Amino acid sequence: MSAAPALELARCQACHSRFLPSHGPCPRCGSLDCVPYSTPPVGKVLASTELQYPATGWTAPHRLVLVELPDAVRVLAIGEGPLPAPGAIVELHRDHDVYRARPEPSA
Amino acid sequence: MGGRDAPLPVSLSGSLDYAIGGSFRRMALHVASVGMGRFGKRPEGLVALAAEAAHLALEGIGRKPVDLLVVGTMFSHGPHGREALLPRLAGLLGLEAASGFRVDSSSGTGGMAFHTAAHALETGRFERALVVGAEKMTDRTTAENTKDLSASLHMSEVAAGATMPGLAAIVASRYFERYHLTSHVCDVATVHARAMAAVNPNAHFQKAVTLDEVATSKPVALPLRLLHCSAISDGATAVILEKGTGPATVLGLGQGFDQLRIVDREDLTSFAATRIAARRAYEDAHLTRKEVNVIELHDAFSPFSMITLEDLGVCGPGEALDWFEKGWVGLSGRLPVNPSGGVIGRGHPVAASGLAEIAEVALQLRGEAGAHSIGTRPKVGLAHTVSGIGSHNFVTILGRGAP
Repeated sequence: MSAAPALELARCQACHSRFLPSHGPCPRCGSLDCVPYSTPPVGKVLASTELQYPATGWTAPHRLVLVELPDAVRVLAIGEGPLPAPGAIVELHRDHDVYRARPEPSA
Repeated sequence: MGGRDAPLPVSLSGSLDYAIGGSFRRMALHVASVGMGRFGKRPEGLVALAAEAAHLALEGIGRKPVDLLVVGTMFSHGPHGREALLPRLAGLLGLEAASGFRVDSSSGTGGMAFHTAAHALETGRFERALVVGAEKMTDRTTAENTKDLSASLHMSEVAAGATMPGLAAIVASRYFERYHLTSHVCDVATVHARAMAAVNPNAHFQKAVTLDEVATSKPVALPLRLLHCSAISDGATAVILEKGTGPATVLGLGQGFDQLRIVDREDLTSFAATRIAARRAYEDAHLTRKEVNVIELHDAFSPFSMITLEDLGVCGPGEALDWFEKGWVGLSGRLPVNPSGGVIGRGHPVAASGLAEIAEVALQLRGEAGAHSIGTRPKVGLAHTVSGIGSHNFVTILGRGAP
């Protein structure tokens, strides 16, 4: 089992989209009628890359990981540790406005 | 886990049916002249680059009067900060009595400038437009350019350290995985682009490259390497768009949007904004893609030329590599693609690129492309322009005769 806290998500009552972060309007339809729910902080890597010239404020190499959570919710996270390959399972940690993806602790 | 690129609940294509107009008949407009200076590292500033292209375009119509000036620039970067490019240019060109607009849609700015001018002319208020796209980039640091280019991305993704190449790498990875491809796709696309650019005297890059040179260039964001990414360039393009018909008549215009955050997109192996823009443009022109003889598309990153060829309906998903490897997209191929060298070969002064794409199609149709003319002079050509990572794309179809 994961030791990381559950992830807070939101579900749009108008179009039934599910998304991160859990505040603000629905990114699909703009509705403000969204209700929070939580999910285990574990997802599957869809793609990853290592940036040699990251955005201002980050140092190279900077890893970006596209992670898919249940219900096809996706998050673009900062990769920590070795760059995970597509299909790998990672644990997501919220860190203020960003998410960090770490290798799932071995069972 | 959901399926690969599983659709989100609201379908993008579902919103398209009411978005397409019914029986709207456009006023006949045509590209009467093209003005382009060399793209690359230029000593001149923004205003001089824009004026050079504008003067060339105006000379092409014998300096007939212009009553509309549409200028596109993303950074509007001059030697002492942001430049008031629109009034500077109007003053330099003696267009004090013209109406003017400045537009910005990041890398899609040139396409937006052209569409803005076309829609303004369609109202009947104006006779003739000078459309200019210009950018000065090489006197800034890579960090400055990267930061400002990121203005076309979603702030939450930039907050995680994402850049244009970073997100393009994610898109390329998804595309490769889905269609069982490798970075060979990127290498092939760059070799094509640079071979085309080598015969275009206005292109930034004048030398062809080999597959090996591309495949061993330094990593930027793997699978993307340096030669898979468009270059920081200076440059400007201008066209004259006026009422009437000619070899480069406006036959169809289309735009499309997609979610700005890539995590909110239905699919990352295709650009919905291109598919929507293309469908709208084909319908507007009453043409199918089979009637298109030349394509100039926006390959800010080389794998995007493959994805775009598929999104424009030229071939099925995951099939574009074959078109490149068999030479079908070459100057004398069955459907020449990016005879100018494209963004990868021509260079990427961001706000000029979209207009350069339309200008190249006009040059081919008008028989004025010189050394980079395609084998048979085309009747119909298509230009494709991308904003950001595919958030707002434009398709422009030009051809002989009336719309």
